[in-house]
Amino acid sequence: MANDRNNTEYMRPIRRIVVGGLVVFLLALFLLWRIDSPRVERFRANLTDRFVPSFDWALLPVTKAIEMVEGFQSYARIYEQNQELRRELRQMKAWKEAALQLEQENAKLLDLNKVRLDPSLTFITGVVLADSGSPFRQSVLLNVGARDGVVDGWATTDGLGLVGRISGVGRDSSRVILLTDSNSRIPITIQPSGQRAILSGDNSAAPLIEFLETPDAVRAGDSVVSSGDGGVFPAGLLVGQVAIGTDRRMRVRLTADYERLEFLRVLRSHANEVITDPGSLIAPAQIGPPAPSEAAEASQ
Amino acid sequence: MIDPATSQRWLYRSLFVGICMVIVFFQILPLSTLPTSVPGPDLLLCLTFAWVHRRPEFVPPLLIALVFLTVDMLTQRPPGLRVALILLAVEFLLSRHDDSSQMPFAAELLFTVSAIVVLTLGYGIVLRLLAVADAPLHLSMIQMVATILFYPLVAGASHLLLSRVGGTGDLD
Repeated sequence: MANDRNNTEYMRPIRRIVVGGLVVFLLALFLLWRIDSPRVERFRANLTDRFVPSFDWALLPVTKAIEMVEGFQSYARIYEQNQELRRELRQMKAWKEAALQLEQENAKLLDLNKVRLDPSLTFITGVVLADSGSPFRQSVLLNVGARDGVVDGWATTDGLGLVGRISGVGRDSSRVILLTDSNSRIPITIQPSGQRAILSGDNSAAPLIEFLETPDAVRAGDSVVSSGDGGVFPAGLLVGQVAIGTDRRMRVRLTADYERLEFLRVLRSHANEVITDPGSLIAPAQIGPPAPSEAAEASQ
Repeated sequence: MIDPATSQRWLYRSLFVGICMVIVFFQILPLSTLPTSVPGPDLLLCLTFAWVHRRPEFVPPLLIALVFLTVDMLTQRPPGLRVALILLAVEFLLSRHDDSSQMPFAAELLFTVSAIVVLTLGYGIVLRLLAVADAPLHLSMIQMVATILFYPLVAGASHLLLSRVGGTGDLD
């Protein structure tokens, strides 16, 4: 023990230098992240990509095992669940009839209108490998990445409703920032009033609606879909329903089942075509006054 | 040949890394992706502080930095700042040990709690000064309290684990 003590006394200055150097390095890394975030985030995505998929063999079985244990616990109230499901099934049958009729009607109307649906909306399905691991960040890691052609900014759904957007792509994995994360901002349209707003996550189960022009036109229960504003997202993806939160602010009850995110669809979206020269489309140059750029060219 | 004390030291260092990896592994399991209103304790922090109080040679600063920086990267935290603060907190705790190697548990608890509180507040203040989006204040406060409540448990478990080693270490 005495030997040990001597050792530590001898080591003290060296330890100071090591700790001092480490602290300076770490603070420099933090400042670098603050100043040049994308570079560090790319490094983070690569690190996660190296690290997490190597635990793939363990992550999925352990998750399933824990879910099975939870499933066994719920056997205790299986009778009530059964009754509840029967009731819901009866309601669903009624809805199914309505949906079938509406589908036929919709198909007929689309045919009459000669509407061409967007063929570019195809998707890749990925398995959720891991979540953010921190109670303050809401994101999940998918097992599809740059190898599968995933690009930053693409929308992800769980088949029912919008879940989030891709932010950070590694070779074999990509991170999805969920709508509930405090960094998530999504342009939305509220139907049927057609109001535009921003859906901003705040670390609660129901994200906030912000920048709403006339809140009076919106009621609880209105459906919320993504809008194509800013070219961020494909328009018309179902997000959820308007609900009034306990703090009397307008929130969205999400359609996607956030309780169990297992498989997510990453929607391939392509940049919208941008029409750059409206002048020549609308009127030939000879008739109208020459456009400023053309005039400049002529004078040169 | 490697002498037994050194090999034992490295054994326990790798045990520390192993425990940390298991904790992180269970944290990133996608069991519930709903936002929680009651965040759990920061077990890694408890573990590190408990080991620093008992056997600081098993948790050298370089190892702490490596483990927590990796965790920062994996859990989407701003990288580096928290690790730097943790290293400073560890140095503070070690400096309290200068006069006597054994500290009564009440004193240990007092110093650790103050270190956790200062760590949480300092982290929050720096992030807000630099306008980094951080967790809501009440959530980080709840996590701080949970961490403090769990510290005696983790310290007890670490004591059971490390006191036996202390015995064999004394023999060398």
